[in-house]
Amino acid sequence: MERILDKGRLGAWVAALADWTVLAPAMQDGLWAYRPVAGGEASLTLGHPNTVQPPKGQSFPQREVFFTFDETPDGQPRLTPLVPRPGPRLVFGVRPCDGQGLTHLDQVFGEEAPDAYYQARRGTLAYVGLACNSPPSRHCFCTSVGGSPFGEAGLDVLMIDLSDRYLVRALTPVGETLMTAGQGVLTEAGADDRAEAQQRRLAALAHPQRAVAAPQAVPERLKAGFGSALWERLAQPCIGCGICTFLCPTCHCFDINDEVASQSPVCGSRVRTWDSCQFPDFTMHTSGHNPRADLGARLRQRVSHKFLYYFENHGVFQCTGCGRCIIACPVGIDIIAVVNQVAAEAAAMPPADS
Amino acid sequence: MIDPEELRTRARDLLEGGQVRAVIGYRRGSRGWAAEPVVITRPEEAQDLVWDPSCVHNLALYLVQDRRRRGALRESTDRPIGILAKGCDARAIVVLMQENYVQRDEVYIIGLSCESSGMLDERKLAGAAEGIDPQALEAVDFEGDAFVLSSQHQQWRLPAAGVMAERCLECRNPCPKVHDTLLGKEPREQERRGTASAPTMSDPFAELQRFEQTADSAAARWDFWSRQFDRCIRCFACRSVCPMCYCEECMVDSISFTVTPDTTAQEKANRLRWIERSASRSDNIGYHLTRALHLAGRCIDCGECERVCPVRIPLRLLNTKMERESRERFGYEPGASVEVAALLASFRDDDPNDFIR
Repeated sequence: MERILDKGRLGAWVAALADWTVLAPAMQDGLWAYRPVAGGEASLTLGHPNTVQPPKGQSFPQREVFFTFDETPDGQPRLTPLVPRPGPRLVFGVRPCDGQGLTHLDQVFGEEAPDAYYQARRGTLAYVGLACNSPPSRHCFCTSVGGSPFGEAGLDVLMIDLSDRYLVRALTPVGETLMTAGQGVLTEAGADDRAEAQQRRLAALAHPQRAVAAPQAVPERLKAGFGSALWERLAQPCIGCGICTFLCPTCHCFDINDEVASQSPVCGSRVRTWDSCQFPDFTMHTSGHNPRADLGARLRQRVSHKFLYYFENHGVFQCTGCGRCIIACPVGIDIIAVVNQVAAEAAAMPPADS
Repeated sequence: MIDPEELRTRARDLLEGGQVRAVIGYRRGSRGWAAEPVVITRPEEAQDLVWDPSCVHNLALYLVQDRRRRGALRESTDRPIGILAKGCDARAIVVLMQENYVQRDEVYIIGLSCESSGMLDERKLAGAAEGIDPQALEAVDFEGDAFVLSSQHQQWRLPAAGVMAERCLECRNPCPKVHDTLLGKEPREQERRGTASAPTMSDPFAELQRFEQTADSAAARWDFWSRQFDRCIRCFACRSVCPMCYCEECMVDSISFTVTPDTTAQEKANRLRWIERSASRSDNIGYHLTRALHLAGRCIDCGECERVCPVRIPLRLLNTKMERESRERFGYEPGASVEVAALLASFRDDDPNDFIR
């Protein structure tokens, strides 16, 4: 299903989606962030390059309470499970790289060991994407990591900006429902609209982007470069913060702790929080030994997880080329340069068996 | 202003002559105009060093990293490490020396005077002038009281004060007081103040004063800070970038809790955690306020914590508040002199409080 939405009627479509809590990018405190849209908001525009944080937190929040625990009056331990039951939520204006990122989260939390908390949140979420006519940042590199500025993965609807209007395309049954709900606002798409959308797509694909070089060879070369001295050198300016992982649309590592509110009587909650491979205690063993004791080993882990281990497990890169880790790194660590340099060094090495 | 070539020559000579084992400086990164920190060890690498308004980072952090790395490798050295230091970086190095974290003879300080200029605030660039796309810039440079910004096809000359980092506008010592060699000149007060129509320097604590005037009640400040701290994602970039945050174990980590075969489940469960991992309002406030108090009399206002924050929490307000307290109550200025005892490690007979005497 394809329809046309006049730009001025975006708010009217949102108003027609009264069953949903709608989130859209808004500028607040100097940041683009997904925020709830007040009903029938006429000022809603999708003017964002991309949001500072991806929509990841909607299905994988930074803090998730698994259950609470306490004592019954007769001193017996008691657990109270807390599986979230959110109402339907709709996230507007998701860029294709972030849509792609959602598919990775779905794999991790849905395939081998379905995660009840993630599933409960994901099940009532829908995503309306916004194609990138040109790269929102100079550090976008989606096309070299298997994505596309017009990519549809992970999204229910894709909107394509045609200057004064959007071409709106349903990608899933949920997407069709959303468009049906807006039938008073959405109008028929004509052949010329489709042709224009296609032109935009070709122009976007032709737009120069930074790139991971020879991507098909990257996993093998990173494997060969595991022991490279480059890791330590490239991590030299690293300060060891969690920005790169916490702003990443696909990083999903977490920690689980009991937050004890009271020892006597015992009560508290078991909580899952985001964790980062860049933190010093991430791989700290209970013995005190840390297999990734230095920043080079941690940079290697972050990059190899995205471009080697995840590829080995799922056949795709985990990185979607959104560029957030490059833009926000306080000291200029650049994942494209890191991958390219380690891979180039490995490519120049003689094969191990010669 | 300092000619970067002069800086490269100085660094090359020091490495060639073996006076230093490495030089901590800035080079051009792979992601455009912004400089990035680098540690060079070979004389020929000196040609990569740069000096321009994007040299924002406080390099004193890398003295801390150097000490940690050498400690982990049990590496001893008889030669100092060279470091480029702006006025603020040098103040941070002085605090590390006052606290005996770094010894004076372990460091060779190549002082860089910002003179009457300062560092560019990337966030002020957007909308600073017609047609500037911060993303398209390729280079930034000093030119008197202006910054020159260049893209591939265009050049802009902007009054520096309009896009300079707030902490630079409020800086009292743009020229390092402690150094082994100095590049650039100590600016005269008049040069730093600029002209009435184009002032380059604002009053110290100007931003703090603006905040206090806007949020002038306890309720207004609680609202303001709740809103700021609610955004915190606990990436700890503010802590990680801070040269004063050198504790082996931070209150937010639990890395020294060692488990032996005798450790009971009870002990594991009850290990001390000052602040939970959850990015909740109370834990975020606990983290930020504890950190601010730990920096009282130590923070030299390099502003790095605020610059690196991905969600724009105005952390300088907390730190300059503590700085003003230490100045007004104790006449103490952090990082002014290696010889002066650190504020929290000193005692004076004329202390205004009774309880301490």
